Amino acid sequence: MSTDVNTTSEQQDDTGGAPPTGYRRLLARVGGLGPIAIKFNLLLILLALVVIGSMLSPAFLTTRNLLNLLQQSSVLGVMAMGMTFVILAKQIDLSVGSMSAFGGITVAWFMAAGYGVVPSLLLATAGGALLGMTMGGLSARLGLPSFIVSLAGLVSIRGLTFLVSDIPIGGLPASFVWLGGRIGPVPMMGIVFIIVTIVCGLVLRFTVFGEYVYATGGNEEAARLSGVPTRLIITGVFVISGSLAAFSGVLRTAWLTVGQPQAGEGMELDAIAAVVLGGTSLFGGRGGVFGTFIAVLLLSVLRNVFNLIGLGSFAQMVATGIILVAAIVVNTQVLQRSGA
Amino acid sequence: MSEYRLEMRGMRKSFPGVQALDDAFLRVAPGEVHCLLGANGAGKSTLIKVLAGAYQLDDGEIFLDGEPVTITSPVDGQRAGISVIYQELDLVPDMTVEQNLLLGHAPRWAGVVRRAERSRRAAEAIRRVGGDVDLKQTVGRLSVVDQQFTAIAKALTFDARVIVMDEPSATLSQNELTELFDVIRSLVSDNQSVIYISHRLDEVFSIGDRATVMRDGRTVAEVDVADTTEQQLVSAMIGHRSGGGIEKVARDVPPADPLLHVERVHVPGLLDVRDLEVLPGEIVGLAGLAGSGRTTFLRALFGVDPSAELSATLGGVPYAPKTPGQAIQAGVGLVPENRKEEGLILNRSVSENLGLASLGNQRIVTPRGLQQLAAPLVETLDIRVSRSEQLVHTLSGGNQQKVVLGKWILKGVRLLLLDEPSRGLDVAAKQSLYDEVRGLADEGHGCLVASSELPELLANCDRIVVFHSGEITQQFDTDRTDHDAIHRAVITGREQAA
Repeated sequence: MSTDVNTTSEQQDDTGGAPPTGYRRLLARVGGLGPIAIKFNLLLILLALVVIGSMLSPAFLTTRNLLNLLQQSSVLGVMAMGMTFVILAKQIDLSVGSMSAFGGITVAWFMAAGYGVVPSLLLATAGGALLGMTMGGLSARLGLPSFIVSLAGLVSIRGLTFLVSDIPIGGLPASFVWLGGRIGPVPMMGIVFIIVTIVCGLVLRFTVFGEYVYATGGNEEAARLSGVPTRLIITGVFVISGSLAAFSGVLRTAWLTVGQPQAGEGMELDAIAAVVLGGTSLFGGRGGVFGTFIAVLLLSVLRNVFNLIGLGSFAQMVATGIILVAAIVVNTQVLQRSGA
Repeated sequence: MSEYRLEMRGMRKSFPGVQALDDAFLRVAPGEVHCLLGANGAGKSTLIKVLAGAYQLDDGEIFLDGEPVTITSPVDGQRAGISVIYQELDLVPDMTVEQNLLLGHAPRWAGVVRRAERSRRAAEAIRRVGGDVDLKQTVGRLSVVDQQFTAIAKALTFDARVIVMDEPSATLSQNELTELFDVIRSLVSDNQSVIYISHRLDEVFSIGDRATVMRDGRTVAEVDVADTTEQQLVSAMIGHRSGGGIEKVARDVPPADPLLHVERVHVPGLLDVRDLEVLPGEIVGLAGLAGSGRTTFLRALFGVDPSAELSATLGGVPYAPKTPGQAIQAGVGLVPENRKEEGLILNRSVSENLGLASLGNQRIVTPRGLQQLAAPLVETLDIRVSRSEQLVHTLSGGNQQKVVLGKWILKGVRLLLLDEPSRGLDVAAKQSLYDEVRGLADEGHGCLVASSELPELLANCDRIVVFHSGEITQQFDTDRTDHDAIHRAVITGREQAA
């Protein structure tokens, strides 16, 4: 697949024999910087939005508001980190929204059943890991498209969540709700989000596993012939995605102080959007968590700015969609120009 | 201790209907460049795939430095010290050179890559191939020859004792080839063994120490390159084919203005063909080795390749299609090389496939209308189906190919391009396919048939055009030509071996 992408971009380069002009030349120049340019243009958009926001309201550029934004980004952020692994390995996980609800409800159920805070948290996350392993294993061993397997996951894990409890579970211990609170002005969840990002970044960049994820997504056949256990890697990224999605649900439950079975509906699409907006290729093998981190923040800031200018929620959905497509078009153009 | 680095004995491998390897052997000494030669279908690739662990042997033994080895998977092959560098270099394009070089066996500590150690080992491997490749560069951005060097260096990081190169020259320029030869020489001077597969005999003489020639799944010659002539190698590759088997079908093509006249077809770096004519009612065969440009030529004629420059006339009118749609409008049809991927929609019915190219003529398509359209054709082509709603993937290869052909008959083309139309068909199906083609020609259609099966072209074509390295080197009239001369031209690009 990726070889195909390669040849097409080469052919385009060949046919563009005449000196490029205007927009194309600009792209070519930017393209020389490759992926850095993508991260930068995302950062630039983020900064531009911050400037717009601060002009619209004096309340925007306050520590309090920015920390609120961080808090609001955390659930999606943790989920999108797992999704980054999955997409890097050229897979897709549609089950993360349901998985997040599953994690959020099971952690509350365990505590209501009298388990301690830490065991409940670990059990809920492990449940996500187990379900992820099942989906990834099915997909890798039997060669089923992960789109279908995780679509089945989306439906049945949501059902499983309602089977655990079809009503919200509240009355959670204070030591658990603390996780959704703040240390001084700083939200705990924000700290957790940043730590998860850093750990994921380190794993991808420095470990053998991280390298195998890129190799599997970049050219699965070449990776297999080089002795990379590609099926294990595909299972592995689903374990990571499943456990982080369940954990994001745990965070939400702590924040809202109640576990809700209908939480996180449709969030799988937000997570995929954030990963792709962050410059990770849907064709696998290219990208990273830093871009995802910025993209998640960008989506929150965007919503905040829309609220400030009083845009209705339906108009917000339209505008978000358009901005997503525009950002991705720019990124793919830069990628093609950089000859990667 | 054996005198050979690698010895393969009594190799047998059959596929349904074909004995691909029939008691073949290969013996490679330490520190030599051993060339593996043979025409298309002689069994070279099968032999190499067995060695690489991609195919399982039916029978035979493999020894490395005198030790028997069993190879059942690509990883086994690597562990045993055999590294195969395929044409479609197995590298990960988005990763750096050093990541690729040690992919799968990077030095590590507790799951963390030891980057300094990896850089050192990668640099060592690149130094040994003598290339000048930036270790931190992404492989996808390297030139083809640098990717070749990376692939060779990767083989060295596995401590490969035998390195197999499958047609490495196919994508290289002359200068790059010289660089590659330097690398190969330095490898063998380090006592590595290299198996070099190529169609080009001049390369064999510039780089080879010894050569093994295969034909029809057997090893027919093992020679020292220095003691042999091109003539002898070609004879070994061709063998003494009796003229028996398929008889030439005699036809007369009435003289007429050419249906297709190609002044020049140019695809940069791949193809430069001049002056080819096809008369109405004529069947012209395109002969040549794999990679000689036959397929590229047909695809260019059909408007598939946007980078092709075409100056030609069809029926006296300028013809330069930029898309297959334009080619079809002009009355041209292509029966592509891969019928299952490019010729048919396998999980749709026979009638839908037959009607596919003609749907533009309909306003409303109903299943009944399609059946009525298709029914006469199913009859005349004698496509064996229980009903025309049967799905195409349930048909035999021969019947599938008739459906592809029928698609163009229904559309009503003037010029039919056929690329390896008989691939995978049995003798009877081949015969009946060519009967249909001949029938079309008798009605005044022009046909261009590319095939690697020379006997088939000799039997069925009125004229044969030989492709070599992207050019037409010879034209032959099939009625009065020494068959060996055509064989020679196909392999060497010249009529007379030097």
